[in-house]
Amino acid sequence: MFAKSTKGVNRIPLWEFHVRELGADMGEFAGWEVPMMYTGALQEHMIVRTDAGVFDVSHMGRIRVSGPDAEPFLQRIFTKNIAKTKEYHLSGPTLVLNAYARVKDDEMPYKVSDEEWLVVVNALYRDKMLKYYENVIKTHNFDVRVEDLTSKYAMIAIQGPRSAEILEKICGDWIHDLRALQFRIGESVSEHDAFLISRSGWTGEDGFEIWAEPKNMVDIYRALLKAGVKPVGIICRDMLRIEMGYVLGEHEYGEDPLRFPPANSLRYGLGAIDWNKRGFVGEEALRAYRREGVRWVRVGIKMRRKHARAVIRQGYKLYVEDQVIGWMTSGTYSPYLKTAIGQAYVDVRYAIFGDIVEVEIRGKRYEGKIVEFPLVRGRPVVR
Amino acid sequence: MSEVEFEVEGKKYVVRTDLRYTETEEWAKKEEDNRVREGITDYAQKELRDIVGIELPEVGTEVKKGDSIGSIESVKAVSDLYAAVSGRIVEVNERLLEEPELLNKDPYGDGWIVIIEMSDPNEYEQLLTPEAYIEKHKESK
Repeated sequence: MFAKSTKGVNRIPLWEFHVRELGADMGEFAGWEVPMMYTGALQEHMIVRTDAGVFDVSHMGRIRVSGPDAEPFLQRIFTKNIAKTKEYHLSGPTLVLNAYARVKDDEMPYKVSDEEWLVVVNALYRDKMLKYYENVIKTHNFDVRVEDLTSKYAMIAIQGPRSAEILEKICGDWIHDLRALQFRIGESVSEHDAFLISRSGWTGEDGFEIWAEPKNMVDIYRALLKAGVKPVGIICRDMLRIEMGYVLGEHEYGEDPLRFPPANSLRYGLGAIDWNKRGFVGEEALRAYRREGVRWVRVGIKMRRKHARAVIRQGYKLYVEDQVIGWMTSGTYSPYLKTAIGQAYVDVRYAIFGDIVEVEIRGKRYEGKIVEFPLVRGRPVVR
Repeated sequence: MSEVEFEVEGKKYVVRTDLRYTETEEWAKKEEDNRVREGITDYAQKELRDIVGIELPEVGTEVKKGDSIGSIESVKAVSDLYAAVSGRIVEVNERLLEEPELLNKDPYGDGWIVIIEMSDPNEYEQLLTPEAYIEKHKESK
């Protein structure tokens, strides 16, 4: 019934703090022992959608790319055109492809200057991407230095509609000047030095992310909690991203062409693919799929009210009559929508928004509707 | 009835001394007429974390000890529920269909799941005593 081996797993820098002071329920994710939840995942989910919660996301890989060829190198591996990104801005997420136009990773680049970028990579793929970066740099003789900052800084995300109002109390007025996808370096939070603060996140809510040295981060955490932010864990983070239609490696994408459709099928959005851009890895295959068309597309699934508690999970098959028309990639119960929801790949011939399809759960069929992302509407757009 | 606690890796779990237990984290309580009330342990509900759904067996179903008689959906995973004893399902807690969170809030009380009329009363005696159940957790550490 239970998998609970946490041995041989990395501990995040604030492990002691979470366990001893916050009583976190810890568990393993992508080779790290991280806070799964504190009081309860459903409750924490609603905190992020209606109030303000703080995630410790120190497991996320962070890589500094610097040198004269930093930008040409990143342009070579990213699908996104980062030439337009301004200094002290996040470019928005990008994909990194392999030669089959399958996704190696989805990453978030931060531009400090033409010659210095920070990249947040998925925890699961950090080692793989570090090796891949080095390989590409060597092959093309790029004058670039790669540095893994993951263990140097702890990273947290304050997310929810009250984030800015609460952060103002401990940071000052300037927090409101920070626009979406903008960041600052060398600011302080409640008089404790932070390395970086950005207005960003992965929940669909307004929010901020802070990188700081672990010893300062404990103090920053205490200040945030005192100001009214509630600790929230990685279980509700996964539920929140499913609602928004954000993707996760080995669920919605992966490198294996036998298990995952090409990046076109992902409908990633957010400007991650720029068809006017040339010369990135995987481009030929990606354009070939564009020309020929794709067979599968990623859609949202929302279970009908009468099946609200029929939780749909990765691998479950979708049917129309006797035809298998697709498979679930992620699923959860949404306390916000009060029904089971998920993401799926569906055969394009059947991918009609609003249509009812059936999901097979342990031999029985349950009805759900094909819906567009995000599954939760009316999320704030931060100027 | 009284309660004791045991600890694994810093987390505390409640055990009721008037109940018997299975290896698969169900509890069983003998009631009148060879009936056994069954639910999941405090350890199980804490490991599953927030429970969001349950699939119950139909009343009247004949089951053997160890059969899967339903499933529990949590925010993390789906888990099988196994019959603690052999017999016939005579009652199910339908309240759980609308309020599965009762399994988290009160696993030994309002979160009970089924009542089985035993076909072999000896099976109850073979279930783990509270002491043996706690011992099992200490050993697996």
